[in-house]
Amino acid sequence: MMEDVIEVHQLTKKFGDFAAVDHIDFTVRRGEIFGFVGPNGAGKSTTIKMLTTMLHPTSGSARICGYDVAKESDEVRRHIGIVFQDRSSDDYLTGRQNLDFHARMYGMSKRDREEKMEEVLDLLELKGKENIRLRILPEGVRRRFEVARGFMTRPDVVFLDEPTIGFDIKARMDLWNQIKTAREKEGVTVSLTTHFIEEANYLCDRVAIIDKARIVALDTPRKLKEAVGTDLISVQIADRMERKAAFMEKVKDFEWVKSVEEYSNSILLNAESGEGRVADLIDFADAQGFVIISIDEHEPSLEDVFVHFTGRTIREAEGEATGMRPGKTVGEM
Amino acid sequence: METKTVKQKPLFEGEPIYSMWLRELLRFFAMPSRILATFASPFTWLVLLGVPLSQVFPTGDIQSMFGGLTFFAFIVPGVLSMGLLFGGTNSGVTVLWDKEFGFLKEVMVAPVRRTSLMIGRSLGALTIALLQAVTTICLALILGIWLGFKIISVSGFVLALGFMIITFFAFVGFGLTLGAMIEETEGFMTIIRMIEFPMFFLSGALLPINMIKGIPVLYQLQFVNPLTYGVDGIRGLLTGAFFLPAWIDLTVIVAFALLFLFLGAYAFSRMEVD
Repeated sequence: MMEDVIEVHQLTKKFGDFAAVDHIDFTVRRGEIFGFVGPNGAGKSTTIKMLTTMLHPTSGSARICGYDVAKESDEVRRHIGIVFQDRSSDDYLTGRQNLDFHARMYGMSKRDREEKMEEVLDLLELKGKENIRLRILPEGVRRRFEVARGFMTRPDVVFLDEPTIGFDIKARMDLWNQIKTAREKEGVTVSLTTHFIEEANYLCDRVAIIDKARIVALDTPRKLKEAVGTDLISVQIADRMERKAAFMEKVKDFEWVKSVEEYSNSILLNAESGEGRVADLIDFADAQGFVIISIDEHEPSLEDVFVHFTGRTIREAEGEATGMRPGKTVGEM
Repeated sequence: METKTVKQKPLFEGEPIYSMWLRELLRFFAMPSRILATFASPFTWLVLLGVPLSQVFPTGDIQSMFGGLTFFAFIVPGVLSMGLLFGGTNSGVTVLWDKEFGFLKEVMVAPVRRTSLMIGRSLGALTIALLQAVTTICLALILGIWLGFKIISVSGFVLALGFMIITFFAFVGFGLTLGAMIEETEGFMTIIRMIEFPMFFLSGALLPINMIKGIPVLYQLQFVNPLTYGVDGIRGLLTGAFFLPAWIDLTVIVAFALLFLFLGAYAFSRMEVD
């Protein structure tokens, strides 16, 4: 049942001396939503381009449904759907014409095209918009037609390159849910790239964190967050007669407290993960006569995960990456 | 994995070619400005250039230089070949356009032959160019009642259409080759115009090729211009006035078409997706 639809082994892409993707390995199982997370320029899009037969690997191999991306590119193309990062539909045609045209290119029969068209229009909530020329539709709707096109030819794997770039929150949530529904209904495998942490967190079963051309961590979002090993607890103490400072001093005695910071009017504890931390703190405060106004424990985000594995935030990483890419692919990742 | 069946792509892919053809036409009819430009341009040349100038010449000595035709009748094939030159070249060049705006990316990763894509879109552009040509001829025949243009025979008309198709494909190949050679898209159209207009003016489209014998450089340049042979062939077949031997027209234009299509197809098949 749990068959691997994407198998990547030591995959590498070099542009001159610059390794855009450097010996990466991973597998994706059928029906999974798999995400690549990392800053611009980390190698996400280059990886997707190799998997979708648009770029030839320098070395290593990748197989989609058992077909080699370099040697059996036509078979690979028959089994995948692609949603490109930049616009790739014909704005002078309607959504229906674009979808129909795409399906014809893949040799679908008229009946099959019509049947599938209804399905994808339904799936991405595009009913009623299919006969309007794309150029007069809002950007988000156009994008949804491109996603619909990715599902049009009944692919085994759909690749989405930064699917929600430039979306507002509502449109983004809608598309996430539509992608999830599509996966359930079609049993399709989804592989996406994003530099938008929340997207990976909400959508992906497993996430590969990619930085400087290498995969630095790969697991479920939950396990990745656990790997960070710390929870964050913020406490607000009624600050009468230097009680806040005293609390900050005393709380350091817990061996599981790794650091204490004052953050606006609350205290932020960086704690080793474990059960019952909040209860311990409340008991301690009661016994010592501190008055807790509020207490809140939260898990690390994937952003914290990125910092944990790379030592810097995604934003910082993107700042570094500017200017180090070869001219050909600037602005592509 | 289960046993794999590797399907071979058929040599002739009817559906993709038809789809590309259909897409070209749908696009064309979705752009009113293009429709207008396509049909208004021959109108402009025939009515605003042909009509006034046929009032002043040819007269006297130079009458024979025009092969016995009126100026109006003389430029009708010229205007037709201009449509083929611009239409064909643009069709080849817009491959690059699509590449820039992403649409081509989508079809380039479809499991079909790239040559099928090229054939399909060229056929689409050819259909539009022939629509333009037939409209031009109809307009010319109406004005020709007063200005002396008529077609010598039905077979001549049919052969002329065939000649137009060959000429058109020569310029599709020319455009593809140019598109592949010139990487930057900014100012690209300006460069194309800078190549197209000299080709048009030095082709015998508006004036007989022998008229500029006194200026050897320009005179000789006409003979390296493929359009010269296209214009002469079309004119000869439509009106009976050949300025070069018909077999030379045919041989040269076919040779140019094959050469450019080969170069263009080669460039296109090597084009990277992004």
